[in-house]
Amino acid sequence: MRDVVRIMLAPLLWLAAFSAVYGLQGLLCGHDVTGSIAGLPLPRVILIAAYGLAIALQCGVLAWLCRTRAAVGSRFVGFVSRATGWTGLVATIWSLFPVALLSICG
Amino acid sequence: MNALERHRRLSAIWASEPGFRGWFSTVNHNDLGRMFLVTAFFFFLVGGLLAMLIRAQLATPHSAFAGPEIYNQIFTMHGVVMMFLFAIPTFEGLAIYLLPKILGTRDLAFPRLTAYGYWCYAFGGTMLLVSMLFGIAPDSGWFMYPPLSDAIHSPGINTDFWLIGITFVEISAIAAAVEITVSILKYRAPGMSLDKMPIFGWYALITALMILTGFPPLILGSVLLEVERAFGLPFFQADMGGDSLLWQHLFWLFGHPEVYIIFLPAAGVISTVLPVMCRTTLLGYGWIVAAAVALAFLSFGLWVHHMFTTGIPHMGLAFFSAASTLVAVPTGVQIFAWIGTMWRGRPELHLPMLHILGFFVTFVIGGLTGVMVAVVPFDWQAHDTAFITAHLHYVLFGGFVFPIFAGIYYWLPHFTGRRRFFRLGEIAFALVFVGFHVTFLAMHWVGLLGQRRRISTYTPEDGWTAINLISSVGSFILAFGIAMILLDVLLHALSAGRGRRNPWKAPSLEWAMMTPAPAYNFASLPHVTSRAPLENDPGLPLHLATGGGYLGTPRDGRRETLTVDIASGRPEMLVVYPANTRLPIVMAAITGLFFLSLLLKFYWTVPLALVGVAALAWRWVWGLGMQEDPVPQPIGCGLEVPHAAAVERGPGWWGSAFLLTANATFFGSLLFGFAFLWTVAPGWPPPEWLTPSWGALILGLVGVAAGSLGMRLAMRQNRRGAAPSMGLALALAGTLALAYGCASLMLRAPAPTEHAYGATLLVLGGYGLFHAALAALMVVFTAAQVRRGFTSRTRRSVFSITCLWTDYAGFTGSIVLLAAHLSGLSP
Ligand code: HEM
Ligand SMILES: [Cu+2]
Repeated sequence: MRDVVRIMLAPLLWLAAFSAVYGLQGLLCGHDVTGSIAGLPLPRVILIAAYGLAIALQCGVLAWLCRTRAAVGSRFVGFVSRATGWTGLVATIWSLFPVALLSICG
Repeated sequence: MNALERHRRLSAIWASEPGFRGWFSTVNHNDLGRMFLVTAFFFFLVGGLLAMLIRAQLATPHSAFAGPEIYNQIFTMHGVVMMFLFAIPTFEGLAIYLLPKILGTRDLAFPRLTAYGYWCYAFGGTMLLVSMLFGIAPDSGWFMYPPLSDAIHSPGINTDFWLIGITFVEISAIAAAVEITVSILKYRAPGMSLDKMPIFGWYALITALMILTGFPPLILGSVLLEVERAFGLPFFQADMGGDSLLWQHLFWLFGHPEVYIIFLPAAGVISTVLPVMCRTTLLGYGWIVAAAVALAFLSFGLWVHHMFTTGIPHMGLAFFSAASTLVAVPTGVQIFAWIGTMWRGRPELHLPMLHILGFFVTFVIGGLTGVMVAVVPFDWQAHDTAFITAHLHYVLFGGFVFPIFAGIYYWLPHFTGRRRFFRLGEIAFALVFVGFHVTFLAMHWVGLLGQRRRISTYTPEDGWTAINLISSVGSFILAFGIAMILLDVLLHALSAGRGRRNPWKAPSLEWAMMTPAPAYNFASLPHVTSRAPLENDPGLPLHLATGGGYLGTPRDGRRETLTVDIASGRPEMLVVYPANTRLPIVMAAITGLFFLSLLLKFYWTVPLALVGVAALAWRWVWGLGMQEDPVPQPIGCGLEVPHAAAVERGPGWWGSAFLLTANATFFGSLLFGFAFLWTVAPGWPPPEWLTPSWGALILGLVGVAAGSLGMRLAMRQNRRGAAPSMGLALALAGTLALAYGCASLMLRAPAPTEHAYGATLLVLGGYGLFHAALAALMVVFTAAQVRRGFTSRTRRSVFSITCLWTDYAGFTGSIVLLAAHLSGLSP
């Protein structure tokens, strides 16, 4: 089971981060959050912070997968889990990129 | 013992009852896989017939063939039958028939569950067919959007048939998914580590996991909508705190993954068949596995692309548009791996290969139009036009029907043990290919000219007449082709001559047995050392038939197989399967009674049916008990393993764990629904919030703790050899206290028919109550087993299962209680 979880870890994290940021955006709009920090609107800052956190987490997972690859049972599982680890990272960067650019509500 | 003698003795042990009576009591995957496939193809014909009616109606303007009411039923039932009664069950049937053979074992993990799933499917499908015969079939489109499908706008029973019938059928999908997951992870030939697993196993595993997490949102949606229709709880009514968009979220949270649930098994067939047709091995095994996993996960982040036109904020649209374009990458990886495989090998144009080429052409076009509609501005133009129906058929027909035809022709000699002698199949393929492309290329075009989907008629001035006629002619060519394939298969099964074993010279284990397959599959189980066992050792079939593998000696009339450690494939325990029984069909019938009572609003039979199901379930698991401690069992080749009843985590534990995964997704979707309504739905805040009751909350939470502690105490007592009565009593008291807490929440929920808030609390409380009651029942069951002497320090698996369920009930129950009471504090 450990091996199976290892393979699924990074995409699962992506799914969680993707849903969380989408939910966060919904909350920010639903509650009409306003204000600003250092000239930037507050909702934007919050969203970008979440985006950065998600990327950092993915990098952490990927680093962990690469570092511990010697410990897994087979080279195959090591390879597949690193491939899905990269998938998680790329998917996070690509699919949440809109937080940096687009209008937040409406 | 010689091979023939062994065959006779094993057949006697594994055979189902002779004649048609055997259909009702068989639990063997050979029989049930065939029954699934035949039934699914029956539904394919029904769906195809409905498609012909659609095309007949649209062939000419001002068609008087069917009125709008009937036409609505026809296209709805076409979509429903194809998606729920053909595509998913075909995967289930194929997996049920093939997996044990490919994985080198004798049956799936839970044979009676296979049978139960089949009968739920058969009965649920029959319900939908009956509705069609009476002209009261569902008619709001296959995705049943409210408000169109709510009680105000669709007052008849039509919609209820969909909601209740499909939920009934879904039970079989969940059952099959649990079964397939556990079988692939645990029921493989010794030595078959994860990297030696045939690629079809990976695809089936990923698909099954997707069913476990993709179907629960739909089941939740159906439950909520049916509850709204029957009892007026306004989950989807905007003026009472509901939101019809909630349905769209729940539906597409299922609906998009569903597309991949359909495509991935087909891709598994291609990855299996293609290398054999090209006389080589699959290129990039690891890449393909990674791509399939990536595809599975990404597909859960796309659902909103079906809702681009519902007024969602731009940023939300952009998230899902980006994610939608992303799936092209893993799909591309697979396609390139296949092209590379063809490049490296020497493709031979046998019939399966033709269908695979048909797949390539069609699916690639479907993928391209898919990327087009993933781009928001284009989708705004094409939404709800025939362009979309054309796109979805390129993906579904190209990505599923062609590969399945390839698979059928590939495994046909395995099913029947015969060889083809006509060339009918080649002509049929040509007709299907041409017919399909004529029909649906034309529909792209007419869609761009503005023809909306789901319209029953149009006028000559629209300028769509010629194209529609061409499309309809194409569809009749297609139908003719499919009929010829059917004829070809029938002729083959009835009259072709005996073929030789392994006609394709395939490398995988399913060809290492005689064909048609005997009920026990392998006379002895192989030890696998590579991904192509049959290629490396051509003498393997003989070796196995003469009992050279594991479990080569039939003993005590028991149906035996082995399970292995998930990663390494080391033999782990010996499993003894239950024999033929009518329990599954009876239980499916009582389950059907439950659904039928809801449908016909005979509410007094609902509790009866529930008690019936509970009683049968009790009997089901009771029979697994043993009075004496089993000793370690010799399995041949000088090895000994423990009996499955003498381990901490037996098959039942694994089954429960994956069933609870599905259940947790259901619960998560329910929480999502609550949060969604609260933040997005217009009619909030509700007129009245819950008045928190500290007594009920604290009692419930204490009950949660007591339940979990009690079960752990019981396990400890049992391990020490003491009677676990203290622990079980504590666990029972705890689960009952939790049940009380949830019941009191249901009673105190503010007027559930007035506002979605109260309605949601009622459902949350009901969920908690149901699981607490279930956990209590399981604790009582455990106590009964202890009293009858079915447990001991060795026979302890029932404790870990009950513990799992009490923990789950406690976990979800405390979230229910906390969420409800916190919401009460919010104002
Ligand atoms: C056998 C050949 C088939 C033909 C000729 C055909 C034809 C059609 C047509 C013309 C429509 C549009 C109805 C309308 O918009 O008024 C339609 C809808 C649909 N078809 Fe098919 N189809 C075929 C096979 C399939 C298959 C194999 C699947 C799925 C596995 C499928 C799934 C659907 C779905 C989901 C819809 C949408 C229904 C709705 O709008 O509610 N079809 N089909
Ligand atoms: Cu989709």
